[in-house]
Amino acid sequence: MKNSAINEEFLQQVEQLQMLIKNNVAGLFGGNHKTKSFGSSCEFSDYRDYMAGDDITKIDWNAYARFENLYLKLYMDERQMHTRIYVDASRSMAYGKGKKDEQALRLAATLAYLSINEMDKVSIYAVRDKQLESVVTNLLGKDAYVSSIAKLNEVVFDGDSYISDSIVPSKVGYGDGLSVIISDFLTDNDFETAIDHLASKKRDILCIQVLSKEELNPLIRGKMHFFDSETTSKFYRKNINRDIIKAYKQALEFATGRIRDYCAARGADYMLVPAEESVYKIFFDKLVNMGVLK
Amino acid sequence: MSFIYPLGLLGLIGIPILIIIYIIKNKYTEQVISSTYIWTLSEKFLKRRNPINKLAGIISLILQILAVLFISVAVAHPVFVIPNSAYEYCFILDGTGSMNIVSESGTRLDAGKERIASIIDGSFDGCTYTLIYVGNSTQTVYEPTENKDRAIRLLNELEPTYADTELNEAQGIAQAYFNENPSVKTYLITDKMVDIAENVFVVDVSSNEENYAVADVEYTVAGGVDEDGKTAVLNIDVKAKAVSYQSDATLEISLYFDDETESADNKTVEVGKLQAVNVELSATVKSFKSFRVVVENKDALPMDNEVVIYSPEQESSFKALIVSDRPFLINAALRARNNVDTEVVSVEKYDPEITGYNLYVFDCAEVTQMPRDGAVWFLKPYANVQGSGFTVRTTTDLKRAVKLSYNSSSASIVTMLTKNLLKQDVEIRGFVKIGLNRGFTTIMSYDGNPMLVAGTNEFGNREVVFAFDIHESSLAGDAAVDYNILMNNLLAYTFPDVITETNFTCGDTLQINVIPNCSSIRIDSPSGEAAYLNTGSDIAEYTLTEVGVYTITLNVGEAVRTFHAFASLPEAERYTTVVQDSFSLNGTPSNNKKDGTYDDLLAWFIILALLFAADWMVYCYEQYQLR
Repeated sequence: MKNSAINEEFLQQVEQLQMLIKNNVAGLFGGNHKTKSFGSSCEFSDYRDYMAGDDITKIDWNAYARFENLYLKLYMDERQMHTRIYVDASRSMAYGKGKKDEQALRLAATLAYLSINEMDKVSIYAVRDKQLESVVTNLLGKDAYVSSIAKLNEVVFDGDSYISDSIVPSKVGYGDGLSVIISDFLTDNDFETAIDHLASKKRDILCIQVLSKEELNPLIRGKMHFFDSETTSKFYRKNINRDIIKAYKQALEFATGRIRDYCAARGADYMLVPAEESVYKIFFDKLVNMGVLK
Repeated sequence: MSFIYPLGLLGLIGIPILIIIYIIKNKYTEQVISSTYIWTLSEKFLKRRNPINKLAGIISLILQILAVLFISVAVAHPVFVIPNSAYEYCFILDGTGSMNIVSESGTRLDAGKERIASIIDGSFDGCTYTLIYVGNSTQTVYEPTENKDRAIRLLNELEPTYADTELNEAQGIAQAYFNENPSVKTYLITDKMVDIAENVFVVDVSSNEENYAVADVEYTVAGGVDEDGKTAVLNIDVKAKAVSYQSDATLEISLYFDDETESADNKTVEVGKLQAVNVELSATVKSFKSFRVVVENKDALPMDNEVVIYSPEQESSFKALIVSDRPFLINAALRARNNVDTEVVSVEKYDPEITGYNLYVFDCAEVTQMPRDGAVWFLKPYANVQGSGFTVRTTTDLKRAVKLSYNSSSASIVTMLTKNLLKQDVEIRGFVKIGLNRGFTTIMSYDGNPMLVAGTNEFGNREVVFAFDIHESSLAGDAAVDYNILMNNLLAYTFPDVITETNFTCGDTLQINVIPNCSSIRIDSPSGEAAYLNTGSDIAEYTLTEVGVYTITLNVGEAVRTFHAFASLPEAERYTTVVQDSFSLNGTPSNNKKDGTYDDLLAWFIILALLFAADWMVYCYEQYQLR
């Protein structure tokens, strides 16, 4: 890890949280997440009439004695989820005073731990150009988490990123858990298709937009010639004054609002996270309030 | 456009220097940021601004350049030459008495001066101005001049006069200018209503102000006694005319004596417009030197609301010292005149050091020292006195009365002293034979001996010598009628009138008789200006140009004599509205104007330079705060 934000104390507190899965759980293996289908867990769910061919061991003989009808006793089914975390590894995440990359990795590590704690599988990918680079895959169990999570430190933030072009062709699973996209979304590249794709795969979606303090409230004034960190072909040359700052803030509000609305329209969750905000506050306050955690 | 100080344009060198500095120093700061996405997107939210605001990036440079530009041009003092725009102005300013009428904004003359000043101020540089002032006389204050400051300064120095000078002479001068240059714009500034005015712009400064006046004051004085019958008093009846020149009015007329603040008599009269009403006032006083008839109503021209009358007789009062052991006859003759105050001292008690009298009469007294501060009469002198102008030779007693013969010459002094005499027989019984110096004229004689002579002694004072004792002559008896007439003639000769009249009209000439031994004549005008008249001739003249009381002071020998005269406003100038038939200049006007200049740009350039400099400083301060 690039810093020690993910420490033992924090992880113990995070253990108290539980991830809430909205969509039908469709995992193959037994896990900690209840599904709408009936299974073989110990938790009673409902009764139904016996039908020929049913397992007679599941007949509730007490109910037969009372009603003289054969009823099968149904139990809740619990499945194992697969949490997939996509971290924007473009250069814009790492440039400047704001440490967006560190915040993104902290968030990814924490979310991964939460999933591990729920006995779910976790995969973390770095989105670079039009490809996904697997950082950790199918991580299961705390031992594996502890031994593998340090690979996040090896993620290099450089180049551009095309979120949709990277995620859509990849294997995202179907209805088996949560997909998290962590990015600054400061691009006009397409990311909407990825959200649509994940939604079509019945996956819960959480978009986390990480922005630095300077991006949220720029203090710079005067004659400036800005160059884009990701490409030299993009630049902005202006005498920064109050009018420009006012327009910037309106543009920022428009951009974040557009993502927020798009996510809301597709049942996805969205969260704007300042790069300097503490992880404690993000998890114990924001995500709980949003209903992502409980 | 031209520049008075073109070197000031060297300041424009600062503009390219500013631009170079701007290019060198004013670069964009380059910086790599994580993403330009939001910045680029913000362009859509930037409000559309007007084109001038697009210059905001270089606004400081623009302001600096404009500041330097305007300061340089202001220093260079630009002058615009506007072809064919300069007029030649000829102003005729009426400064006669009626222009003293006061309205809300000052006198009519002030209003006229303001109008001329505004025309001069509003005209282009290059115009010429001529000012003809009609005051006590018609004068050209300045010939065509282009100097506005001088034109206005001299205009402002003009004061209203009290005369009723006609405009004809001014019209003639203006006509001469017009003949010389038919393009001249002639303005007549007056309070007169001009019916016909060709080639002349008439500026009427009248505004129907109220004016009342009192005039034609006459009076009679009769002697009497007071109610107790013990004290002599004077009964005075005054007649005057009250006039209202603008509208019907009720006027209050008062009579004041000397410096009294309470009126001795007061009348209220109804007066129709321009219809003079007679007012009769009367009072009884013990004595007076002057009286005033006053219109108490307030009006726009106060100077004709009062007439002051000085009595010439009261103005010429004398003190006489009679040194005689038999003073009755001479004392009675002198006291018969109201203006002579006599004192009598016996021959024995006379002190030659006594001074302070206008006349010293030595009746059969031996005089050892000539008085120097007054006239001297000798009645039968006994001894020679140095400086008297005559010598006493022998005393002759006649056995019988003899008649004196009169001088029959036509000399003025003889004519004056024998004026109105019946030439009764004057008989004497004795006389003193005297020898005369030059400067004495014999009025009566006996057998070639001068019996009555008049002349000027060595101290410059008039002197009369009787070579006989009047008590022992028929002047004290059968010729008593001629005695009184002769005494009056001798007093008139001894104390010649300095002024014969005290009531004048502005513009009149005051004539002052230069009496013997008069060393100086000073006249103080009502405004306090002092003038000294020439005493080298018999009569000194002074033109009265102000309304009010003049004080005339004469130094006669060692004595000082003071007189007063009052000058009133000419009747023609009391009218608030006067119609002048025409004031036209003959000829056909042309329109040949000169090139004018306009250089009032200086203030504008300075203001603009300051504005831009201030704006620039505010802008810089804002930029500083934004950092």
